[in-house]
Amino acid sequence: MKIKMISRSLDDHLPSSSTDPHPIQRNLAPHLHPFAKPREYTRALTAAKMDRMFAKPFVGALGGHQDGVYVLGKDPRRVAVVAGGGGDGEVIVHSLALRRPLLKIPNAHRGMVGGLCWSAEARDGKRGLISCGKLDGTIKIWRSEAFAPGIRDKEVFEGNEFGSGAGESSQAVLDTAGAIGESGFDMDFEEEAGGGLSLDAAKRDLLGKNLEPSMTYTSKNGFNGIDHHRTDPLFATASNTVQVWDEGRTAPVSTLAFGSSLETVTGVRFNQSETSVLASVGSDRTLCLYDIRTGKAERRIVMQFRSNCLSWCPTLPTVLLLGSEDHNLYTFDIRNLNSPSQIYKGHVGGVMGCDWSPTGEEFVSGSYDRTIRLWNRDAGKSRDVYHTKRMQRVFDVTFTPTADFVLSASDDGNVRIWKSNASAKIAPMSTRERQAIEYRQKLVDKWSSSGDVRAVKERRHVPASVHNTVTLKRDMIEAQKVKEDRRRKHTRAGKEKPKAERKKAVIAEQKEAGGS
Amino acid sequence: MDALLASAGPLKQRKSRNSGAPKKRAPDHSHKSVSRGTDKESIDPSLHSILPKTRLPSSYHESNLATGSSSAPIKPDASVGRISDKKLRAKIARQDVSAKQAKVQRDEVNEWLNAPLAGGTGGIEVDEEMGERTWRVRQEEIVQEVGVASGSKKFDLKMEGLGSYKLNYTRNGRHLAIASAHGHVATFDWQAGRLHSEMQLKESVRDIKFLQSESMYAVAQKKYVYIYDLNGVELHKLKQHIDPTHMEFLPYHYLLTTVGHAGYLKYHDTTTGTMLTQIPTHLGSPHSMAQNSHSGIIHLGHANGTMTLWSPNMTTPHVKLLAHRGPVTGIAVDPSENSAGRYTATCGMDGTVKLWDGRMWGKEVRTWGMRNASSSLAYSGRGMLAVGGKSGVSVFRDVEKSSSTAPYLTLPLPGLIASGIAFCPFDDILAVGHGKGISSLLVPGSGEANFDSAEADVYESYSRRREREVRSVLEKIRPELITLDTDFLGKVREDKPQTFEEREARSYRQLNRMERLRAQGEEVDGEGGGVNGEGGEEDDEDGEGGEDGGRKEKEKRKMRGKGGSMKRYLRKKKKNVIDPSLLAMRAKVAAQRQAVDTQRKIASGDIVKETGALARFG
Repeated sequence: MKIKMISRSLDDHLPSSSTDPHPIQRNLAPHLHPFAKPREYTRALTAAKMDRMFAKPFVGALGGHQDGVYVLGKDPRRVAVVAGGGGDGEVIVHSLALRRPLLKIPNAHRGMVGGLCWSAEARDGKRGLISCGKLDGTIKIWRSEAFAPGIRDKEVFEGNEFGSGAGESSQAVLDTAGAIGESGFDMDFEEEAGGGLSLDAAKRDLLGKNLEPSMTYTSKNGFNGIDHHRTDPLFATASNTVQVWDEGRTAPVSTLAFGSSLETVTGVRFNQSETSVLASVGSDRTLCLYDIRTGKAERRIVMQFRSNCLSWCPTLPTVLLLGSEDHNLYTFDIRNLNSPSQIYKGHVGGVMGCDWSPTGEEFVSGSYDRTIRLWNRDAGKSRDVYHTKRMQRVFDVTFTPTADFVLSASDDGNVRIWKSNASAKIAPMSTRERQAIEYRQKLVDKWSSSGDVRAVKERRHVPASVHNTVTLKRDMIEAQKVKEDRRRKHTRAGKEKPKAERKKAVIAEQKEAGGS
Repeated sequence: MDALLASAGPLKQRKSRNSGAPKKRAPDHSHKSVSRGTDKESIDPSLHSILPKTRLPSSYHESNLATGSSSAPIKPDASVGRISDKKLRAKIARQDVSAKQAKVQRDEVNEWLNAPLAGGTGGIEVDEEMGERTWRVRQEEIVQEVGVASGSKKFDLKMEGLGSYKLNYTRNGRHLAIASAHGHVATFDWQAGRLHSEMQLKESVRDIKFLQSESMYAVAQKKYVYIYDLNGVELHKLKQHIDPTHMEFLPYHYLLTTVGHAGYLKYHDTTTGTMLTQIPTHLGSPHSMAQNSHSGIIHLGHANGTMTLWSPNMTTPHVKLLAHRGPVTGIAVDPSENSAGRYTATCGMDGTVKLWDGRMWGKEVRTWGMRNASSSLAYSGRGMLAVGGKSGVSVFRDVEKSSSTAPYLTLPLPGLIASGIAFCPFDDILAVGHGKGISSLLVPGSGEANFDSAEADVYESYSRRREREVRSVLEKIRPELITLDTDFLGKVREDKPQTFEEREARSYRQLNRMERLRAQGEEVDGEGGGVNGEGGEEDDEDGEGGEDGGRKEKEKRKMRGKGGSMKRYLRKKKKNVIDPSLLAMRAKVAAQRQAVDTQRKIASGDIVKETGALARFG
């Protein structure tokens, strides 16, 4: 006879000293872990609720504008600098880190500012701000030491004799760009007017008032948009045609138009990968593609509604995002322009501005309905919606180059900083906290297609006006569809087929005659 | 522009509709587009060469593992294919595969790490050929054979004249609560031999149960249920639980479940202190109660021989079956690895023990007779079944597999009735409560050897217990999630619509205005106006019949000839109110009746209808 019984030694199961952790024994067999699914579901629900609890996306507002802010100019090479152009022709360069203006140029233009962008020099100190006027038909390049505060090194600041080209030293400056002077640690060193951080408001205003543009270009027509070439000293403007300018010449290098079209062009953007490719949207409901090397318009599509804004995906070179007047956003793969690859529905006002995150996985859009929405590239519904009581019509939005924040420019004269992930924690986190957050995120992802988790995750409070418009719009669309259904029912079978939503957006695709 | 298009590569190829001609396989050398003629897009072979290998590193492929087991690749569940949304389907499929992968890995961990740790299954091995039998092995022999540490776990607490004892272990098996019928209640850490609380309640006590840990326990006393803390201080008197006879505590749901002489099953949430629900069983005072620790379902055994299965979500039992010819005296649900809550054992006053399969309640799996008037049942962590009754306990092994009725072990208690029995979780102990105290008996091989510290830690420290309690309250499962089918949550629903409403459901767009209003939750009052019957008839004639779907029929048409909306209208109208429309209606009905009558008479030949030219004058 042999008998075996459970016998445990305390040495294995108790900590060897009082400071030791308690020994852990695991048995992963499922029968020792009953209710695995309900428990995980409960945990996921709690996680979803916690996520909503911590969702405080608003970081701060950058004021100083006398009129509404209608354009934003993000410096793609620096994290924390953005320029805002007002309705009264004022341009303010904001520092996000310091949350105060670096420079105010009160009368940059007569009338509204049409567009803002930064030139492509590798050095922060050398880079200029290019602004164009919507009414006065001028383009101005502004260069000031105040754009890159805290750079004291003359050589770094102004460049050596080799100029602003590529080089190891300039690369080093590029790498540290954005960090210099904006970390807030060396706020108090003294410097001559223009470069230092301790600049008081009066001095700064004086500096801005007296600042003369380093270059001015004039045209008969006002400009609605501007975008700079990624590397070369070229920029493109949108007026009634698309014009390409060299920074060193006063007349446009080339004028691009599709056929003999003279309709207003509202926005223009350079592709980020194939940098000579250019896209524009116009008030004739078109999206047009150009190549500046051939100097021709390549092709264009006519859409059902006019697009207000456009943005090229930074990681997928052929993907183009359009924000349309019909409240939707569209992504196009330019290899197949006859239908959008995805429609993004959610806004209840015309989309005024859109911008991709640097990862190309998500983007932000701002709308006339006073909300900002954040979207994933592969989902047609927005992932989040931001609004505040004081924020009026949003005219431009942009992602910061770190993808942490989203900026919005609105009618009420403020540039607002939002977190791109509403519940993200900005402060440093311990590893355990980060792991816990990641685990919660994963749980919500896993259960997000079912039950209450989904309800909690997707529920957003929107202003009453938006809410009412949503219901109204839904009714209207529903009624339209009912009508279509009835009409189809009373026509001969097969005569009127339902048209896919994606096919509806594009009316015609046109190729320039003789274009390649 | 062309450079951009070329650098981006071609679009994803569409599925070709005519799959008649077999396609040529793209050559393996990549990064060179393969043209398919002038009018078709070229294929980038790199895409398809990468795809199959991006799922799992090749070192993880089954064929490359040291074990060399080339099991079939893991595929998502077939039900995932029913999801129509492509993106969601892909996501769920990915999750399903990763869950299955995790399961395989978990099994491997258990196989390689925990099996050696356990040192085999444990138990008694005897030489059957020499005529030795396990059930002949006495406790003294076991104590002699095993070490001192294990041998000391056999003990008896002699408390005579206090009535028969009930007992309950905590989930980690560390603490024991005992309660005698005459009111002696004690809780203690039986391994350390440390008494937590002991008191004499001086009234009859029918059941005792630990709550989430040893720090609280509930006692079913003569009139109400009371809750005491670790030191025996009375914390709560649950006045809603009147005359309780049995109790169960669902630890993951924090529900204290009681049933009393009145036959009301009551669920009490112990985190909020509110009564969740009370369900009348309509079957009188129950004789036994048990919980399924894997599903949270409560089993009740009744005097008429039925067993019923309850959850707080239904006012009727999920399952009701005739288990015995006579009161059901004991129920136990198998929590072990093979069963995981599937098998249930019952014993009745008819002298039989029956084993039931939760997948098919129609017929018992096994039934066998016991001559000890069995009154209590208990399952161990490894699936051994103890049947307690007059003069002792018999322990059975592999009850659902073997057909022999010979017990694995017999534990005689001469002259005593085992009123309460419980296996100690994670140990080879069976505690028996009887008229002369309690006995802790050794049953080798009955307990689960490998505990999980995160779930139930045998050596739980004070701080870890506090942490666990907080965590478990945060993860308290909602009572709505108690279901008979434990896999229900997160399952892809059946493709076909199940109910009549679902089958007949139309999209919102297809509904008419009234139905839309109803769907939006707006009350629609006075829908048909006053003349219900007429309105309904008109709708029928329209051929749409849209409104009739949701409307409740007011009156059933049972008798022939009584139907007809007009007649119903007349019948329902008050007889003594005379209004012109009613008179007109009556006249119309009379005329109709007469017309029918005339027709019938003509048919039967009572009236000979005039034919010819003069017939028109009637």
